[in-house]
Amino acid sequence: MSRIDPIRFEVLRSGMVQVAEEMAATLRRSAYSTNVKTRQDFSCAFFDRNLRPVAQAFTQPVHLGSFVRLIPMAVSTYGPENLGPGDMLVVNDPYSGGSHLNDTTVLGPVHYRGALVGYVASLAHHVDVGGGAPASIGPFREIFQEGIIIPPVKLVRGGVIEDDIFRLILAQIRSKRVTSGDFRAQVAANAIGAKRLAELYDRHGVDELDSYIDELIEYTSRRTEAGIAELPRGTFTAKGFVDFDGFSDKVVNLQVAITVSDGEVLFDMTGCDPQRRAPINSSYAMTFAACAYTLRALMDPDLPVNDGFYRHIKLIAPEGTVVNARHPAPIVGGWETQVRLNDLMFKALSVSMPSEIAAGCKAMMAQAGFGLIDPQSGEYHCNYEALAGGYGARSDKDGPDAVQQHGQNTENAPVEEIETHFPMRISQLSLIENSEGPGEFRGGLGMRRDYHFPETEATFTVLSDRDHEGPHGLFGGETGRKAYYILNPDGGLNGRRELTSKCVVDLLPGDTVSFQTPGGGGYGPPERRDPARVLDDVVNGKITAERASEVYRVAIDGRSGLVDEAETAKLRSAR
Amino acid sequence: MSTKRFRIGVDIGGTFTDGTLVDTDTGDITTSKVLTTPDDPSLGFISAIRRLLSPGSSGTPPDSPDARGARPVSPELVDHVVHATTVATNAIIERKTAPTAFVTTKGFRDMLEIARQIRPSLYDLQFEKPPPLVPRRLCFEVPERLGAKGEVITALDEEATRQVARAIAATGIESVAVCLLHSYRNPAHEQAVGKILAEEIPGVSVSLSSAVVPEFREYFRASTTVINAGVRPIVGRYLTTIEKRLDADGFDCDLLVMQSNGGVYSSAAAIEKPVFMVESGPAAGSVAAAAIGTALGYPDVISFDMGGTTAKASLIRDGRPSVTKDYTVGAAAQSGAGAFGGASGYPVRTPVVDLVEVGAGGGSIGWVDSGGALRVGPHSAGASPGPACYGNGGEEPTITDANLVLGRLDPMYFAGGEIPLDRERAARAIDQHCAQKLGLSVEETAHGIIEIATTAMVNALRLVSVQRGHDPRDFMLVAFGGAGPAHAVRIAEEVGVSRALIPLEPGTASAMGLLSTDIRMESTTTVISRADSLNPGELQDAFSSMESKGAATLREAASAHTGTRFERAIEMRYYGQSFELTVDAPEGEADATWMSAILEKFHASHERAYGFRVDAEPVEVVNLRSTAVGEIRKPGLKPLANVGGDLNAALKSRRPVYFNPQTGFVETPVFDRVRLPAGAKFNGPAIVEEKDSTTVVLPGWRAQVDPYGNLLITR
Repeated sequence: MSRIDPIRFEVLRSGMVQVAEEMAATLRRSAYSTNVKTRQDFSCAFFDRNLRPVAQAFTQPVHLGSFVRLIPMAVSTYGPENLGPGDMLVVNDPYSGGSHLNDTTVLGPVHYRGALVGYVASLAHHVDVGGGAPASIGPFREIFQEGIIIPPVKLVRGGVIEDDIFRLILAQIRSKRVTSGDFRAQVAANAIGAKRLAELYDRHGVDELDSYIDELIEYTSRRTEAGIAELPRGTFTAKGFVDFDGFSDKVVNLQVAITVSDGEVLFDMTGCDPQRRAPINSSYAMTFAACAYTLRALMDPDLPVNDGFYRHIKLIAPEGTVVNARHPAPIVGGWETQVRLNDLMFKALSVSMPSEIAAGCKAMMAQAGFGLIDPQSGEYHCNYEALAGGYGARSDKDGPDAVQQHGQNTENAPVEEIETHFPMRISQLSLIENSEGPGEFRGGLGMRRDYHFPETEATFTVLSDRDHEGPHGLFGGETGRKAYYILNPDGGLNGRRELTSKCVVDLLPGDTVSFQTPGGGGYGPPERRDPARVLDDVVNGKITAERASEVYRVAIDGRSGLVDEAETAKLRSAR
Repeated sequence: MSTKRFRIGVDIGGTFTDGTLVDTDTGDITTSKVLTTPDDPSLGFISAIRRLLSPGSSGTPPDSPDARGARPVSPELVDHVVHATTVATNAIIERKTAPTAFVTTKGFRDMLEIARQIRPSLYDLQFEKPPPLVPRRLCFEVPERLGAKGEVITALDEEATRQVARAIAATGIESVAVCLLHSYRNPAHEQAVGKILAEEIPGVSVSLSSAVVPEFREYFRASTTVINAGVRPIVGRYLTTIEKRLDADGFDCDLLVMQSNGGVYSSAAAIEKPVFMVESGPAAGSVAAAAIGTALGYPDVISFDMGGTTAKASLIRDGRPSVTKDYTVGAAAQSGAGAFGGASGYPVRTPVVDLVEVGAGGGSIGWVDSGGALRVGPHSAGASPGPACYGNGGEEPTITDANLVLGRLDPMYFAGGEIPLDRERAARAIDQHCAQKLGLSVEETAHGIIEIATTAMVNALRLVSVQRGHDPRDFMLVAFGGAGPAHAVRIAEEVGVSRALIPLEPGTASAMGLLSTDIRMESTTTVISRADSLNPGELQDAFSSMESKGAATLREAASAHTGTRFERAIEMRYYGQSFELTVDAPEGEADATWMSAILEKFHASHERAYGFRVDAEPVEVVNLRSTAVGEIRKPGLKPLANVGGDLNAALKSRRPVYFNPQTGFVETPVFDRVRLPAGAKFNGPAIVEEKDSTTVVLPGWRAQVDPYGNLLITR
């Protein structure tokens, strides 16, 4: 192919994205777990025969970045020659390129007329993969406690699920029915992807499509380079920490240095703490995913993401640290470390790009799991979800209330859906008043979700963070309210007790766990906030009149309900 | 001859208001087109109707097909008027809904604020969540709680509810939405709240979620109910004005309104549940395509409607448009949003014709991105300034400019010659904005713009067919809208469809949909129970109860229909899944055989949609859907008078037209659509022009005029 036809290029590019999106639609709609089907905690992508990522469906950025490491490692470990048409591997081992064990990937080769043309992959966060606590999240000491570890093994042979392997996997898992449904949905998504990809090859020919894949990657690379050229040059650093490792009282120190140079962005994690026998370690793939998210957020919104983008990311993540742990360190809470790193990266860049970034966000995954045995059916049920929190304020606008952030964009499970599936109730779902990080532009409000178990015993797991400190403010903006995890906020059989951000609790019938996520950090000094905006928050009950006066120095007239201009001027000049 | 033999359809669009009058005895059709009157759309509505009734006043040229056999018609001869309107949608998009209060279960005041807790775009650090339709200060809680089976856990505190009602009364709000947890199972608490609101706030409009959409998943039900409440006063005033205007002009007929699902309902029902009409206009197009297909013996059709800013595709099986309940109103079109695009709008859980809309219309702009790739849309030059060739100040090249440069459009016969087009301006725009950057000729670039737009439209067609488990090659493409016929054949080629049909007057075809539908009143009962533990008798009772209510509603609603029938469907899933598949129930009483037939249908449709079935898995019945259909007699197709005439008489000219870079410009015959006789056959390449549209017949395709004047293009 001597010359790329720009028209054909655009036609094929859209065809390839369509393949990944159709995979995602199939997975989502045929899955069983609320986590996959409703919360969209999954991702799909395809790779060329050289294992370069080519196209992705836009779902969870954290998955997509880790795919880039996982798929090549899994295929080369297993041996591409051992993969025939219709075969699929399953893998979740973080030490084989994966992330935490829940994120289980099914991948398979795509053949066209007997020849290998590429690979399709789908990753789903499985509600439970066995291990020490329901939903497989919790404070563990080593990876063996976290659930079933699956190196790349063949789950599907010639289009048929290998029953022996499948039964062996399911035997380790609490919620067997739901999980087996999710696996089947992953297999179906891959099968659809392989079929559509083969159709694309059939229509366009192998040589032609391959040369356009090359061009798509080069095109992306050119646009990424152009995007990087617009970023301010230099090295930007920030330090911070994960509040609680699950066991000790020592915070987990994190450090990031971002160097923007010609056509390349270097993320240097040197200085992050050594790995611990605690669930805050992450794999290299997870750290890479966090860096990819940050860079992608600084690029043109419609930039395709494939090898041509990823190749511009350079990562230094010293082995044996919390950003690149050695076997057998526990990994399950590694995303807590990664999502905090994202917050730190944007904090580092706030110096050079003050109007492009946001103040501190929730920056914790806010994972809540529970398991219980249904007294009527005897079935073991598990539920897993991740909650939203306040988003950081931006240079000219507030941070949105109760929303997902960074590499996480999972939905909430409808209360009516959860209550239909499990013998429990969500007794409250609300914004948390006064939780915003104050600022000229304020952070978003945190969110509260209370889980009540009226008639059954249950095991509740929290894997989250922000026990000590809320999200940071910027340029005079203040910190948002920290997170709280409270057993029986109104008292109960177990009594009221504050829980940590990483715990497993045995609940008695009648107990409630109140999960309260942080508010986002503010931007700019709060006493510069437009009094009309302060009033609006007071009128809507998002902040109290006392807070308006104490923090924002805005006086609200009790009778008229309007801003008392004179009093406000006095308050503001007094400072 | 029946006394009331005329029927009228009026479709109000962004630019034009289209009217259609059909004489049910003769099949004669008259159309009218007036400018939409945004400040008071009822003015455009009535003037479109007046022109239909006295065609002399319309300025329609005497040789136009509009004027065929037209004679003044007296209003009292009109049986009913069907209306499609965007008044509800516009109120939502422009955020001009009526101030509304929201009442929910204690602990859940922030349901609308929290929404789905996701960002509408993944990588945008400057994103905004869509503002809630009801501000937090107008969201209220009442102490009460139901469980998932509808059982009362905490009884409604009526005194506290009364306090809430008084607080709402003090705000002067005219509309209230009520959505309590699990009310789809047990509406008693909502009904009690509704009663108290009515007592405390005289004249208030109350929308109860258990009456609007009694289905589980609280945020989606609440959003639907709030939208209903917010547009109710607006739609109420609007339809009342329309009715007054009809009365004043001497009409004594039913006013029916197009719903999003392709059926119509009475204006009284529309005032009660306006949320069912948010996709009123687009649905009419699918219904028209379905009606044309059915009349010609093609029950399986893909409808393709392309206008100035977007193209819409939908799938019709067995003569019925596919319907979805996974719909979002007011979502911003944006690239890269993928599955989260809907998070920028508000979910509506009413049945909506399953349309996929892409930003590719005549006015969509071609541009070169920072990586050097040619792109088309989603930005549009709209009607103003319009494409560069309009000469109204548009500088950027559009799809219309590309068609003009390639010789596919006649610069002197666009919109029947009303808008002269400037080919030079078009060529210059393409050259300066795209061709020079790409290193291609103007023609190659223009061709590229068309090809890329084609890809977007093909994706839309694939989404409604392939992705829903249907092979597009089994369908006929029915293309309409002003720009549809110029692109239909190329799209058919790409999708693998071998038959495309272009109706007469494609620009107004969708208004015909208004006169080709039935009254459809849908109701739902949520069951959520495993099929193996259900007694078919209970389902039979539930259906019967919905059907007797449906029949009563039809009787009250309108007299326009001649017969009544009921359709039954069940939404099912494998136990544990969350997305339901809708399965049409077989005829007859619900019994064990009926149940097993349904289960088999479910397994089969699951396999078609997702590629697998698991017969051993328990199946869950989620919702029962009953539709009471009031059948309306459809206008028959009218045969062309010109039969077996000379094809050459229709030949207007020949001109060079560019079809692909290999052949370049090819001398191509141009036919005048209105002079084409029935039975005429000709090969592509050919161009067929009519007042509101131009059809492009590509080389390798063959066109034939059927007895009714439709253009059937096959390969």
